[in-house]
Amino acid sequence: MPGEREEMMLRIIDLCDSVRKRGLDPFDVGVREFFDRLRELLPKLRKDEELYLDIQAVLGLADVIFQQGEWIKHKSSMLYLDPLLIMLKLHALPPEDLAEIGASSWHPILELEGLSPHGIREAMQYWTNLPPLGERWKEPETTEVLAGEIARRELAHLGILSEEEFAATLDRNWRELREAAGEKEGIPYWDFICAQSFEQTVARAWLVSFLVSYGYATLELRPLEEEILLKPLHKPRKLEQVATFSVPISISRSEWLRRRKRG
Amino acid sequence: MAEEESAAELREKLSRATQLLLFKHHMQPGAKAWELRRALGRNYEQILKILGGELGKLGLEVKRISGGEENSESDRYYVTLKGHPTLTEARTFGWRIDDMAMLTVALAYILSKAGKAPLKEVERVLEEKFPRWRVESTIDRFIRRGYLSEDDEGLLYVGWRTRAEVDQRTLLGLLLGKEKKEEGKETLGEKSGEQKTGSAS
Repeated sequence: MPGEREEMMLRIIDLCDSVRKRGLDPFDVGVREFFDRLRELLPKLRKDEELYLDIQAVLGLADVIFQQGEWIKHKSSMLYLDPLLIMLKLHALPPEDLAEIGASSWHPILELEGLSPHGIREAMQYWTNLPPLGERWKEPETTEVLAGEIARRELAHLGILSEEEFAATLDRNWRELREAAGEKEGIPYWDFICAQSFEQTVARAWLVSFLVSYGYATLELRPLEEEILLKPLHKPRKLEQVATFSVPISISRSEWLRRRKRG
Repeated sequence: MAEEESAAELREKLSRATQLLLFKHHMQPGAKAWELRRALGRNYEQILKILGGELGKLGLEVKRISGGEENSESDRYYVTLKGHPTLTEARTFGWRIDDMAMLTVALAYILSKAGKAPLKEVERVLEEKFPRWRVESTIDRFIRRGYLSEDDEGLLYVGWRTRAEVDQRTLLGLLLGKEKKEEGKETLGEKSGEQKTGSAS
């Protein structure tokens, strides 16, 4: 039955999304009925994922109620006309008539382009720095080389590809994560990725994303505590055996600074 | 003497207001309420009223467009045409008939959907009458120029320029009344005649 419960909540979330994104009539959604169903389900929910879906469904239904309010405001305004009637008209009228309607309700803004002292200075600088025409038309000296193949080792030599190094970095990161978690089940995501500089923090977050994607660690979302727990696994998990989903995590400089200050 | 001084000051403020409203600053034309207050003083609305009267003689008007909140300092003032141009005049402003028709369709559709509609749906409606390759680029242009706005979820809204330039109620009214073709044409002819007279005087 847990599957059915999840499916129902996902259906409600999807329906609420459609109202917001595709402009469905919000009054077509049986808000009260859905709330009753969610109330019945709530005592049966056990897993965090199910509770998270329940919150999303409630938020979605609250948004539908907001959309209903907006809909009533629009319908009571002078701008409300039956959408079907408008569609029929748009379908029936030729482009010339439509253009005439557009022009007849159009009061264009008067606007003038002007040069500012700053613009003049910029133009003068551009003109002064512009090389003579003869120089600009000169073709660069090049030798034609036929397209060919390049070996992985050569790419590594050029510094473009370095799989071994990447694998070693990932391995080091995995070890660090296990050490940081110690006996505990996991470690808060930000505690692990937060480094001395913002660049290092982003690099660690990037490496963690590979650890999670390759099954070396998992993420546990705790929406109520607004926390993400990073759990290292002692043996990599085969990805075919688990249900996976993407979690977008924003790493902004301001967030990094805030957490650094907090220590 | 004091009267002469205040008249000169008023003339100075009127010309400053005209410059602020007509010249494009950064990307947008017009000026915000707080900019006008800073440049013209606390009584800037009275100055704009006098300017509106002067511009009215030339077939123009000063319009205040709200950014959402009522009487906000970020409301913007524009100078627009008081009447509307004829379709032939619109072409001389650089508009293609097809583009004007597309704008009408897009706006009417969005307005009929309570002010927002998915981009894909608007494109689908437009593709019934116009080639697909023109629809995409024209919608992009409308978004760039401010006639439409788009959010992250691919929903289209009425843009700032539409709020300033298009009489939305008239647009929908004319669209629904288009069946009475002869009557409609007479009214339009009369209106454009008024506009021409206004501009010439």
